[in-house]
Amino acid sequence: MARNTDIQNRRRMRIFDTIAAIVVTVGAILYLLDTLAIRWGLNQQYIATRYPDYLKAAQVSLYVTTISYFVGMGIGFVLGWARSVHTLPLAKVIEVYRRTTAAAADGGRAGMFPIRAILVHGVKYYLKRIADAYVAIIRGTPLFVQIIFAWSVIITYSPRMDLTLQGLLAGILALTVNTGGYQSEIFRAGITTVHSGQVEAARAIGLSRWGAMRHVILPQAVRLVIPPLTNEYIGLLKASSLVVIVGAVTELTTFGRREAFINFHVFEAFALVTGIYLLITVPVSKVVEWVERRYRVPGLGIQQDRAARV
Amino acid sequence: MIRVEDLQKHFGSLHVLKGIDLEVQKGEVLVIIGPSGSGKSTLLRCINLLIEPDGGRVLLEGVQVNRPEIKREWVREQVGMVFQSFNLFTHLTALQNVTLGPIRVLEEDPEKAAVRGRALLSRVGLGDKADAYPAQLSGGQQQRVAIARALAMNPKAMLFDEPTSALDPEYIREVLDVMALLARDGMTMIVVTHEMGFASNVARRILFIDAGKIIEEGAPEEIFHSPREERTRAFVSKILR
Repeated sequence: MARNTDIQNRRRMRIFDTIAAIVVTVGAILYLLDTLAIRWGLNQQYIATRYPDYLKAAQVSLYVTTISYFVGMGIGFVLGWARSVHTLPLAKVIEVYRRTTAAAADGGRAGMFPIRAILVHGVKYYLKRIADAYVAIIRGTPLFVQIIFAWSVIITYSPRMDLTLQGLLAGILALTVNTGGYQSEIFRAGITTVHSGQVEAARAIGLSRWGAMRHVILPQAVRLVIPPLTNEYIGLLKASSLVVIVGAVTELTTFGRREAFINFHVFEAFALVTGIYLLITVPVSKVVEWVERRYRVPGLGIQQDRAARV
Repeated sequence: MIRVEDLQKHFGSLHVLKGIDLEVQKGEVLVIIGPSGSGKSTLLRCINLLIEPDGGRVLLEGVQVNRPEIKREWVREQVGMVFQSFNLFTHLTALQNVTLGPIRVLEEDPEKAAVRGRALLSRVGLGDKADAYPAQLSGGQQQRVAIARALAMNPKAMLFDEPTSALDPEYIREVLDVMALLARDGMTMIVVTHEMGFASNVARRILFIDAGKIIEEGAPEEIFHSPREERTRAFVSKILR
């Protein structure tokens, strides 16, 4: 009984907190807008009538970001896994294999050319090297340049494609490749943080490498990397504004810039643009926070309730 | 049941196992003792091929298993293992820890697996802890869940790698009791442990390993009270104290 009322109280307090937070935030934004309006003569009429166009542009930003993010997550996971694997140079593999088969007296395979071992280890070894190079290149060059590069590649190879489509593809391609590199680092960190004993135990009950990854490592790693992954999503959404260089794609920043410098609604445009970015990023963080709480497990990652930490 | 012939293992330039031969009959309990770094853990891991031996043969029921064409996963299904540091899956409850293997490896029906899992947890005295996460269990309870997890695969033999040496003293007993129960039920076991009481009561033979070689082998009384080798005597006097 006591426990129930306790939970109820805490839930009530949480709801109260949420409402208070929303009221304070909205109040602050309104106050800011109002101040801006008085000081700089912000055209509220413009904002009230044109905001749907900004929202439409925000949709473009949102789906470019989201597609890139999730495709990039696939790339990031594979590269991150490849980078976390312990590999041996092939010469060493062959030596070990020779020793093993030579010892397997009734195997009758001593001295046989170790094709399977070479394949398995070779693929692992080179995947890792390729993944390393990928991350080095992506992390070592500006996203801005990557977008222009992707754009020029697409323009060169399909010059007759629709301009907007070219731009969209370039944006999505560059953002995907970029976030893939960054997410691979996140996944690598997550995977290597899971204790090696967990893998050993998984293999000991007969799970395959993939089975151990899927049922033991990933569920733990993902819980650990949710905060940096969220960071990456928000970072990517903001980075998607760099697609502004491809003028033909009407994403949020591009639209805002056009309104500001062609139709001369500078402050209104950027007030709306910043406001909408916040409108996306803040709820995203909140939702993820809820997911994190929902899937929290004792003994893994952040332990205490926010209330208990005060 | 399990036979090992001239087992060799190197880690780089380190020669860890220098030709180990041993045999365990069905239903027999073999205890391995030896100083740290003598290769006991490596030997156990070579038997279920968690570590790939460089040389020699490992045989399960007469079949050599350290051959390239034999699936390692299959070998590990046959031989369960319990670790020094428990290694329970942190993100799963006790019951889920026990049923993961049956569901994902043996492809058992999840409901049937859960019934069997609960029965196994009861068998190790943890019927009421099915829904607890590892972090909510004591060391002794975690290790008993780990034993149940290994048993859930219906192994033909079990390997124990110092199952009580990471435990607080008050929890050692409950784990050893479960192991003794298993032995009485006829499980084939290879146990690395320094628990002399357990070794004397449960094991038929004791193997003393030092520096990657078997130094001496014999019944518990012989090894503990009248060892033939000087090195065995020195080691035993240290752990008996």
